[in-house]
Amino acid sequence: MNYFPDEVIEHIFDFISSHKDRNSISLVSKSWHKIERCSRKRVFIGNCYAINPERLIQRFPSLRSLTLKGKPHFADFNLVPHEWGGFVHPWIVALAKARVELEELRLKRMVVSDESLELLSRSFASFKSLVLVSCEGFTTDGLASVATNCRHLRELDLQENEIDDHRGQWLNCFPQSSTALTSLNFSCLKGETNLAALERLVARSPNLESLKVNRAVPLDALTRLMSCAPQLVDLGVGSYENEPDQESFMKLMAAIKKCTSLRSLSGFSEVTPLCLTAFYPICQNLTSLNLSYAAEIQGNHLIRFIQFCKRLQRLWILDSIGDKGLEVVASTCKELQELRVFPSDLHDEEDNDTAVTEIGLVAISAGCPKLHSLLYFCKQMTNAALITVAKNCPNFIRFRLCILEPNKPDHTTSQSLDEGFGAIVQACKGLRRLSLSGLLTDKVFLYIGMYAEQLEMLSIAFAGDTDKGMLYVLNGCKKMRKLEIRDSPFGNTALLADVDKYRTMRSLWMSSCEVTLGGCKRLARNAPWLNVEIINENENNDLMMERNEEDEREKVDRLYLYRTVVGARKDAPPCVTIL
Amino acid sequence: MEKDGLGLEITELRLGLPGTEKMMKKRGFTEMIMTSSGSNSDQCESGVVSSGGDVGKVSESPVAKSQVVGWPPVCSYRRKNSCKEVSTTKVGLGYVKVSMDGVPYLRKMDLGSSQGYDDLAFALDKLFGFHGIGVAFKDGDNCEYVTIYEDKDGDWMLAGDVPWGMFIESCKRLRIMKRSDATGFGLQPRGVDE
Repeated sequence: MNYFPDEVIEHIFDFISSHKDRNSISLVSKSWHKIERCSRKRVFIGNCYAINPERLIQRFPSLRSLTLKGKPHFADFNLVPHEWGGFVHPWIVALAKARVELEELRLKRMVVSDESLELLSRSFASFKSLVLVSCEGFTTDGLASVATNCRHLRELDLQENEIDDHRGQWLNCFPQSSTALTSLNFSCLKGETNLAALERLVARSPNLESLKVNRAVPLDALTRLMSCAPQLVDLGVGSYENEPDQESFMKLMAAIKKCTSLRSLSGFSEVTPLCLTAFYPICQNLTSLNLSYAAEIQGNHLIRFIQFCKRLQRLWILDSIGDKGLEVVASTCKELQELRVFPSDLHDEEDNDTAVTEIGLVAISAGCPKLHSLLYFCKQMTNAALITVAKNCPNFIRFRLCILEPNKPDHTTSQSLDEGFGAIVQACKGLRRLSLSGLLTDKVFLYIGMYAEQLEMLSIAFAGDTDKGMLYVLNGCKKMRKLEIRDSPFGNTALLADVDKYRTMRSLWMSSCEVTLGGCKRLARNAPWLNVEIINENENNDLMMERNEEDEREKVDRLYLYRTVVGARKDAPPCVTIL
Repeated sequence: MEKDGLGLEITELRLGLPGTEKMMKKRGFTEMIMTSSGSNSDQCESGVVSSGGDVGKVSESPVAKSQVVGWPPVCSYRRKNSCKEVSTTKVGLGYVKVSMDGVPYLRKMDLGSSQGYDDLAFALDKLFGFHGIGVAFKDGDNCEYVTIYEDKDGDWMLAGDVPWGMFIESCKRLRIMKRSDATGFGLQPRGVDE
């Protein structure tokens, strides 16, 4: 290969897009490293504190697209304090200063400010795509800057962010000349939008394929939007609490019928049964359906809808569908690849007899041979069911099972669920992500260490008996990248057994476990290339440092460690101590 | 401290390393239950794992479930947006959910806007477009439907027995069910309430 001029090699590299592959290429030789890094356009940074923007830009001067992730996953469940970190601002400042021709920015669990968005919008003339997932810290004013200044914006995708809605005119800020939009998602905004501005924007965006509106867009507006965008492929609707009158209903149905390209449907934070029926005409084309926010719709209506959706590949639904409903899914949706069943009753008010059980899961596994991704919240499970599921679906890549009650055993045998999960990891040789629940001993971890060769992410809660459990995983799972553990009896022995293991992992989270301050300190000493963060809600730095030796034995509330090439971060709040 | 299990461990085929410890009492969740709902020490000592039936009792404490931070692991955005209580305008102090057998969707109504059982009867009729729900309050045994409500203690009671004021204070939700289904339901017998 070295006999070819650089431009030829670079051209060959252009065909290689996966991050993993490009990383591998760069390790082959010095010249390949150089060619690769100078031509690399897309970079993915799984932990924004693993590297700093200056070094990133130095290595990849042709950067066009950057993906950054901030807070650890358990931040989703309120286990990470708000002020923990993950600020995007320094990144934008550095990219702007270096005059990177940034076109795309994708952020997850980061803190974004209006100032950041304003700077972003003014610094990158070719900026095309902004995707924010589970971020916070900004308002609709920031969106207004983006709309106003990013002349070539194609994609504005806001998923599940906490946005302060100033109910301003941000949609009005898209200039008349802006006609390049392909994707607009503002479903997480809480306030009213300027409907006229939205309709005008959609009308002048012939390439718009994905539109997800928020709950404040009423039915008649939706009808008009769909009428002027029949080319839509992906639609997110609003909230429809009241039954439409006859005329509105007919108009809606007519508009829907024209959307023959529609493949993906979501939104529905509230929807009446009649409203739902207006979508029947396009059900047969749907490959993706998200009804997981429609808390008021009862099971039989969901079932009736899904019966028309024979081509579904992805389904996100609430457990109000029940086992019976899942049996219908199993017999209808033969192309199903991804299923997520969320709990509808989070406060445990009702003795929910419509929640799903192992019966629904077994039915799905029997009926949907292409299933590879599962997230399943249920109230009970058995080993027999899991063993059957493993046999039916050996192709799982992601398997996340959450039995609502922690430590719950197999409800027919009262045994732990070690054997069930063991069967899953043994059968599913391609398993990359696993979340455990229910009553589990060290044995399940022995199985995981033995069989889960491709496992990259493992989530553990209320499981295991001794450090051996965690050790089985650390020693066995060669491809482990992210390990997150809560409320499990793993301590210093496991934490310190193989410090070099953490070189191959992105991060480790342990909360309410048995690790002590002394253990963490020892780890930090032996691994200077790790940031070992102790997160305490009520402490501050100084107080922690003043403590005497006695406290080395004190258990650490939350530990988050990650490899990094840039040392301790400078933006940690008082509740975080970096050892 | 921990009891041996069902005694079947000896016969169990295990892949565990020799000398693997027996299942120990779980820390964390059990302790949480102990401190929060004050379950008696007998149950706790038998250990979460080993004693089949007891496990169910210990872990079914509803108080404990909702006190565990970040559990179930549903992301906070989803919690805020799909929780049944979080419906934009409708939910206020007097709003209760009303379900009727055979009708696929729940309704919400404001008890505070009714003056008494007659009013409530009328409102329910209007809500479901069905005449005769309210008749049950007066004529009791002649009506096809009964209206029951769940009180603060989680018990299901027949609507119409207690004084109106007491009713709206303790009613958490309403259900209109077919009389034929109601007999096996486990309604609290009349006269039980204080």
